[in-house]
Amino acid sequence: MEKLSDKFIWKSLKEGDLNAFSILFESYYPKLHSYGLKISKDTAMTEDTLQDFFLYVYEHRENLSDLDVIAPYLFTSYKRFLLKVMKKNEKLTYTDAPDETFVDLKFTAEELMTNQETTSFKNKNLSILLNKLPKRQREVVYLKYYSGLKAAEISEIMGINYQSVANTLHKAIKSLKEEISILKLFN
Amino acid sequence: MIKKKYTSLNDFLEDASFKNWVLQNNGTDINFWEFWITNNLDKKELVDKAKDLVLGISFDQNFVSKEKVAFEWKKLETKIQAKKIASKRKVRFLRPLSAVASILLLISLGFYFTNLYAKVTHKTNYGEILNIKLQDGSDVTLNSNSSLSYYKNESRKVWLSGEAFFQVDKKIVTNAKFWVITNDLSVEVFGTSFNVNTKKKKTAVFLEEGKIWLKLKNGLDKKMIPGNYVSYSSKKNEILEDINIFNSIIKTSWKDGSLLFDNLSLEKAMEKIEESYGFSIVFKDEISKKTVITGAVPTTNIDICIKAIEKSVDVIIIKKDNSLIISKKQM
Repeated sequence: MEKLSDKFIWKSLKEGDLNAFSILFESYYPKLHSYGLKISKDTAMTEDTLQDFFLYVYEHRENLSDLDVIAPYLFTSYKRFLLKVMKKNEKLTYTDAPDETFVDLKFTAEELMTNQETTSFKNKNLSILLNKLPKRQREVVYLKYYSGLKAAEISEIMGINYQSVANTLHKAIKSLKEEISILKLFN
Repeated sequence: MIKKKYTSLNDFLEDASFKNWVLQNNGTDINFWEFWITNNLDKKELVDKAKDLVLGISFDQNFVSKEKVAFEWKKLETKIQAKKIASKRKVRFLRPLSAVASILLLISLGFYFTNLYAKVTHKTNYGEILNIKLQDGSDVTLNSNSSLSYYKNESRKVWLSGEAFFQVDKKIVTNAKFWVITNDLSVEVFGTSFNVNTKKKKTAVFLEEGKIWLKLKNGLDKKMIPGNYVSYSSKKNEILEDINIFNSIIKTSWKDGSLLFDNLSLEKAMEKIEESYGFSIVFKDEISKKTVITGAVPTTNIDICIKAIEKSVDVIIIKKDNSLIISKKQM
């Protein structure tokens, strides 16, 4: 017996199994949709590119390399896919095309739970403080706590090692805490 | 439970029990960690760090709805199918056909949207057997007191409660699989014939020919080869039976309208009768229970069934209301 895993689904997909592909689609579409929307801030573009991206994956399934975990591949490739489209669309408007490694994710107050588990985060300015963090930290925070990915998966997506993911997250949380305690001094 | 050493941040982060403590989920873990921390004060900084990371920042995740995902999947599936059809045609036919294809696509999209959730259910009563031909050409024989459901657009994914025998057509071109889903497991099939029975709070699968995979509710996979008989209960979370049956007809004869008993105790045989006809069984004495029976009885006519049993073993069966009362024949 073996565990029904990403590896199995991926293998079945590579063999052309549409059912495996539908399982893959159902499990990753919601997360990729949120991620795409976060990057592009454009629902229509997110949904169009997701359609094109999944169609691309299916059509090129035979050429894809074997995978043990799927999430990093999907997040990385979809991001690249989306950025390419965004770049093309934005060529006419401005030249500062988004081709950086770390995308600029911004958080809104509505996205944050009002009752943060840790008391130190109970702050109405949490989203503002989050947006002050470096891009890289914001993306790791997003992938970890919004998309719910594992640290090992994030390390593949960001191209950094496992320890750096933990360190980056810790740095982010530490500076949030510091900012909040400073704010408290003035209140 | 928790015995290893905790020396790095990762040791804490990858520990389920540690997470339980942070989130105050599990009493045992909470007690353990409160105790552990008072005894390992030198690790306090590490523990605090790990705790921060586990708690993190709570987002109000606003993912798209299931319906939206289903809608988007249909859209994608239609595109994939359209491409498959298109790629089979010669290129020079493509242009004149594109108008027709797009109309067809629109019609099929419309069909999908209106019928996306159209669920078909076949049900049988006690003493009734139903033969069903699915859209993909597969044959299903549904045993008594059973039900089989599927969505109109996806007849190769069926939900079963009760018992059914499947003869699944292999789709060589698309390699599409066939799925049977029960409360305990899913059966993954390419093309083959097999029996699935979910009566008695478990799912028993018998493979007659071909090859199938069972995906158990606990996440494990089990491969089956012809002759295998496997039963699994998700409630007990264990495989109850895993044996080989050489005389396959015993497990599948019901589909031809008869139950075969091969050296079976009358008690076990009557359980099968109970499943087929819905009568409750009452034994008047222990000796009749242990009587061994060999032979065939019909599954659709209770009176003939009773006569057949009475003929082959020394018992008298009285049909009263919803019960069959069995007693030893007086000499």
